[in-house]
Amino acid sequence: MAKVKVATAWLDCCSGCHMSFLDLDEVLIDLASAIEITASPITDIKEFSPVDVGIIEGAVSTTHDEEVAKKLRANCKILMVWGDCACFGGICTMRNLFPKEEILRRYYSTESTTKDSNIPSSEDIPPLLEQVKPVNQVVKVDCYVPGCPPSSKAIHYALTELLEGRIPILPSEMMRFD
Amino acid sequence: MSEIILTINGRQVKGKEGDTVLEICQANGIDVPTLCHLEGLSDVGACRMCVVEIERERNPVPACTYPARDGLVVKTDTERVEKYRRQILELIFTERNHFCMFCEQSGDCELQKLAYRYQMDNVRYPYTFPSLPVDSLSDYLVIDHNRCVLCGRCVRVCSEIAAGHTLDFGKRGWRTLVGADLEQSLGESSCLSCGACVQACPTGAIFSKVNLYRGKTDECQQITTVCPACGVGCELNVMVKDNNLVRIEAPELTEPRGPLCPIGRFELLYQTPPRVISPLVRGKQGKLEESSLDRATQVIAERLRETKDGFAGIISTRVPNETLSLFRKFIAEVVGSDWIDTRDGGSYRIISQGIRQFQNKGKGLDIECPVEEILKADCILIVGANPAETHPIIGTLVRRAVSQRGAKLIVIDPSRDVFSLWTDLWLKPRAGSEGVLLNGIAMTLIDRGLAKQEKIPAELVSSLSQYKTDEVNRATGIDKENLELATEIYGQAEHGVIIYGEGLLERNESSLVTSVLHLADLTGNWVGDRLRVISLKPGANSRGAWELGLALKGIKQNKPKGLYLLLADEPVDEELLGWLKGINFLVVQASYHSPATSMADVVLPSPIWAEREGKYVSMDGRICELKQVLQPKEGLPQDQEILMEISKQLGRRLSSS
Repeated sequence: MAKVKVATAWLDCCSGCHMSFLDLDEVLIDLASAIEITASPITDIKEFSPVDVGIIEGAVSTTHDEEVAKKLRANCKILMVWGDCACFGGICTMRNLFPKEEILRRYYSTESTTKDSNIPSSEDIPPLLEQVKPVNQVVKVDCYVPGCPPSSKAIHYALTELLEGRIPILPSEMMRFD
Repeated sequence: MSEIILTINGRQVKGKEGDTVLEICQANGIDVPTLCHLEGLSDVGACRMCVVEIERERNPVPACTYPARDGLVVKTDTERVEKYRRQILELIFTERNHFCMFCEQSGDCELQKLAYRYQMDNVRYPYTFPSLPVDSLSDYLVIDHNRCVLCGRCVRVCSEIAAGHTLDFGKRGWRTLVGADLEQSLGESSCLSCGACVQACPTGAIFSKVNLYRGKTDECQQITTVCPACGVGCELNVMVKDNNLVRIEAPELTEPRGPLCPIGRFELLYQTPPRVISPLVRGKQGKLEESSLDRATQVIAERLRETKDGFAGIISTRVPNETLSLFRKFIAEVVGSDWIDTRDGGSYRIISQGIRQFQNKGKGLDIECPVEEILKADCILIVGANPAETHPIIGTLVRRAVSQRGAKLIVIDPSRDVFSLWTDLWLKPRAGSEGVLLNGIAMTLIDRGLAKQEKIPAELVSSLSQYKTDEVNRATGIDKENLELATEIYGQAEHGVIIYGEGLLERNESSLVTSVLHLADLTGNWVGDRLRVISLKPGANSRGAWELGLALKGIKQNKPKGLYLLLADEPVDEELLGWLKGINFLVVQASYHSPATSMADVVLPSPIWAEREGKYVSMDGRICELKQVLQPKEGLPQDQEILMEISKQLGRRLSSS
């Protein structure tokens, strides 16, 4: 049987969900016989090619995040998101309680920094969106694995369900928001 | 109440007329999710989590506010209502900032549990991300509006159970905020910090600084015990993790003694002054030095052998009956002295002498009614007491009677209107003239024909006859109008409750107690063989000590040569410290270092409330169980073990039976 092609991406996040995936340890060996990871922070391949399953960790916080989410969506049949940031916005949304300018000013030019007070700007630095959004506010999402981070068990459950042709919905006992 | 029969999920179930659909579901083990409902509070249907389908109703309705009727056909678990509930949850989540990874209450949150139950793995609606304030100016409580679901449990528990009426909703619509008084910070408001709202809050919107990050309910062992702070005897649910106190809650929040007070709910968690860990003995240079328990008990035994006479014992009434009775035996049999008292024995001697003067062969302290009687009152007369300060739950019950039953509140106090806004009539007699005023009210009752007692004893009438209006006015400064007004209010009440406390007791006149009892008797305020009178007695187990005969006579008139002071974890006051000066040989058995321990010749350790167990008697005579919730710190011995050890040194066997 041909391997299921998977691509993953991380947006505004801590990479904890990918770490949780790697925490599957020896189970990864079994998974490797069923799936092939193409573009991903793990493989360090950055350009998406068409895959069966796209996976996103992290919230949509910048125009770049938006673009990545849209590109992956366009290249995958099923889009799964990992973690509270991608599912709900998560800890990244703390900045939503303040105006964007206030956040940048606080970060780059107050007591929170020792550097000079310029807010860096360059066409290579993607601008912040007004507000951080969960992924489903930007592209259609097919399945969700919440958790901060989701446990390896929850990630494994979701992948196994997908491999068996079902859209995973975490059972209540596997649900965690923290 | 007539019985009704409903069909719920195809099953016939019984209920009573007046029940809500939710009550019938819960009574029959039919699970309906709830969020704003809390048993014992009124239902308001704020959250809509309990929506159910009812035949012939166009839309799903909240079960908590829907009155059940005979023949109703209800469905609680259809796909439609489950879909609605999940949608309601999503809407609640978008309304404020409910992000669990930065919420202390994560793991102890009802909203989170519901989201897990409904497998809410995403939210289909845009979040509103309101930027809402956090109020953390109170000593104990924090309100984080970002976590609030506006269920109103806090508002209801504050008004219906704690009778604080501090919390209420402010603003309108989706801008609604729970607030204290007129948009004040909680710390500056009328909040009494009882913490009932903390226990009622289903999310992390109201929490306590004191409990923060100590542990989650799931990780804790829960032990139900009794509060050691005052004589009311509130039950406490103490949460313990790794032999540390995590949190204190009421087992039944909505019961009369349920709201608790800042002392019972929060202060007990602190163990601030340094603990007495090791025995200390005053050495040759006059300094206290660490010693073994053996050596310390030897020193005491030696001194006791030398000084047989003039040795006295004083014990705190925070210890349970078992310790009290062993201490009594220790002083009587081992020390050989009848010089024994408790720290608050004086109050009891006054109260019981006053009761004896009123009714010679009666029930003693049992002539007083249980504190719950306050909730039935239509008039409350407070004299020489400040319940809100000394016995906060009594204050709560008084405010409940006033706000929920419209009870009239009369305060007799020379200097303070202890219930301020709640008081209907504040009589301000000259200091020391309260007795004259009480007798004046009694006389006016008789004169105005308001006395309900069938045959008023002639001696009573003649002894009261000197308290005519003019004399009362001269002695107390209370004018005729107010005297008559008070008499009318109290005299015409059906359930008039008199509460008196330290303001009267510290005057050391048992006739004041007798006057109070006569007043209740004259107005027929009997419930069975008890009078609607409540005296606010001090220490948590002071009644137990009294019943065990530890406080029969005072000992402070003369100074003993030696004193064994079992202070336990009770704080010391200036009066005691002053009296301790000049005692030749002082043993202090205490949980904490204090000025009293530094005066002692021998200091012995003592467990704190959480490390002891035994029986308490509440001020209204209920037997309460004090349970050990913590293992004694560093294997410290129990009070009894030390007493037995000293006895052994003296060749005596002290048995605890």
